[in-house]
Amino acid sequence: MNFRGDDHPLVLVVGSGGVGKTTLAASLGLMSARYGNDTLVMTFDPSLRLKDTLGVGEHARDREVRVSAGTSGVLAASLLDAKQTFDRLVRRHAPDEQAAHRILTNRFYEHLAGNLGGILEYMAVERLFEVAAEGRYDRVVLDTPPTRQALDFLDAPSRIMGFLDSGALKVALRQWFDEKGRLKPTAHLGVLGRGVESFLDRMVGMDLLREMAEFFQAFGPLFAGFRERAERVQALLRSPETTFVLVTGPGEERVPETMFFARHLKERGYHLGPLVVNMVHPRASTELMVRPDLGAGARLLSWLGERDHRGLAAFYRLLEPRQLLVDVPLLAREPTDLPSLEALGQLLSDKLEAPAESVPATGGRL
Amino acid sequence: MAILEALASRQLLVVTGKGGVGKTVVAAALGSLLADLGRRVLLVELDPRENLHQVFDVPPSGGEVVRITPRLSLQNLQPRYVIEDLVRQHLHVELITRRVMASPIFEHFVEGAPGLKELAILSEAERVVKAKGRGRSAHAPFDVVVLDAPATGHGVSLLAAPHLVAEVIERGPIGAEAHELSAFVADPRRTGIVVVTLAEEMPAQETLELREALEEQVGRTPELLVINALYPPFPDVEAETSATDAFLLDLWRTRREVNEREVRHLGNAWHGPRFELRMLPADRGPRLLAGLRQQLLDQQGLAA
Repeated sequence: MNFRGDDHPLVLVVGSGGVGKTTLAASLGLMSARYGNDTLVMTFDPSLRLKDTLGVGEHARDREVRVSAGTSGVLAASLLDAKQTFDRLVRRHAPDEQAAHRILTNRFYEHLAGNLGGILEYMAVERLFEVAAEGRYDRVVLDTPPTRQALDFLDAPSRIMGFLDSGALKVALRQWFDEKGRLKPTAHLGVLGRGVESFLDRMVGMDLLREMAEFFQAFGPLFAGFRERAERVQALLRSPETTFVLVTGPGEERVPETMFFARHLKERGYHLGPLVVNMVHPRASTELMVRPDLGAGARLLSWLGERDHRGLAAFYRLLEPRQLLVDVPLLAREPTDLPSLEALGQLLSDKLEAPAESVPATGGRL
Repeated sequence: MAILEALASRQLLVVTGKGGVGKTVVAAALGSLLADLGRRVLLVELDPRENLHQVFDVPPSGGEVVRITPRLSLQNLQPRYVIEDLVRQHLHVELITRRVMASPIFEHFVEGAPGLKELAILSEAERVVKAKGRGRSAHAPFDVVVLDAPATGHGVSLLAAPHLVAEVIERGPIGAEAHELSAFVADPRRTGIVVVTLAEEMPAQETLELREALEEQVGRTPELLVINALYPPFPDVEAETSATDAFLLDLWRTRREVNEREVRHLGNAWHGPRFELRMLPADRGPRLLAGLRQQLLDQQGLAA
């Protein structure tokens, strides 16, 4: 795999928190643009780290920002804002201005869109679709939230489809209330029977239910488009052209969750590219360990080197023989400016093209 | 008053921070010290891939409360089970409960309703520290819950959820619960917030952003900052060094410089109590726990 050509139009950088995904995504994006591909680096990370790395400010929330890195291809960066993406979606798909206004000012929508967990993943799917549909870039490099959320992200399209198929929507879209705001007797409530009104009123209050019903009514026309888009995003994520770069930290502690994620990706039909083991401490010599002038620090440093190489050995043992593994040494300085990002990108790119350390044929299987 | 005693008077300690900074181990060390101070502590882990038990070398929780010492227990808490329990309590009739839970609509409600999972977690945390009724049977099973919270952004979502839900759902048991939990997390005498970070550029920056987000969205300032995994001070190097070791020594020196710079940076912007913990040559387990506990005890002065 390399970033010279125009294959792999969509690269997803996935992995647990704190393993350097954002930095690697930025480096890969920079290299891709350096090789002449118009590249967009997107982050869904709520803490907006890419902002620091690429020097893009708050304005990158509503539009892509051109990064001036002197690359031959365009390098752009954007930050996902769930609320803004949601608002945009409503404006675009609502049948008319008035309907859009009704949704955007609904109290239920106002409070919940963009504020709480879950919404971000749904919106990530929408945003990804927008960018893919526009086709303005040769390559999109996507930085994703930490493992748990990254799985949520991948499951978002099927969850949307599941929701649309579950009947929940049909229930929500039913005419629940009469003109006086009372539950209609025709709102068939199944096994819960007539006691349900007082039960629901007791649980959450009728006012909220009315507003929710209003929200779903207003939102109804939008759901049709949702399904089609969710299906297409699903197909896009599973396309052989879409590559997942799985990033992990060194150390044996990281092995089980990383193997879990690798298996999960394959089982779901995604295409796993290289596994990047990031921030590996180099091994110390035996002389270093016993040097009196270094004190207890020498023992720590040796231990870190051994720990990280034990982790690497475990990965080689467990990965499929043809799985590409790239180890990236811990750098003395965290790459935060463009030159250091580029140095990291170059190192990655060299290792990806000439994988001297890919898993030996004797390696075990998953 | 020393910070550990101050934290011990809380009912809920939320330990949050960026991913990979050692939240779980720090939460475990704080929890075990509070237990030493005589509090009955429940350590709660939310990540379904269990790690917390490794710190104490006990079996994984699988959702059950695992007793580590008479005063210290741990539990892996999945919001889904808490929600199912709540439904059981409210619906009474087993047949209806089963039908509700088997319905895909319930499934989507649990997975999709914004704030529901967050509310369920906090509700469960409050439940186990809340005394019911009067007299001897009024004792709650625990005095303090130490919550190993999700990473930064999601940690804020967790703490902000009650307020947001309370604004939308004004009445009924869910509304009442949201109001009560909103007051619970807003009260610094009952809920404490601990932020764990590394002394590196991006984690430090994110830590300051986290503090801002907490002030804005929850109206709270964290009680304690724990700066974790510092490289040891770089010594005066005398002997000749091979090329590999030279690289390693440069790494050590530079990383330590970054640590010192970022500790200063954090110190300038964050005036509350803080602990500074050295990195230790030990995997997640009892030995690492003992080392962190010792450092926390040694630094009570610095934290005052």
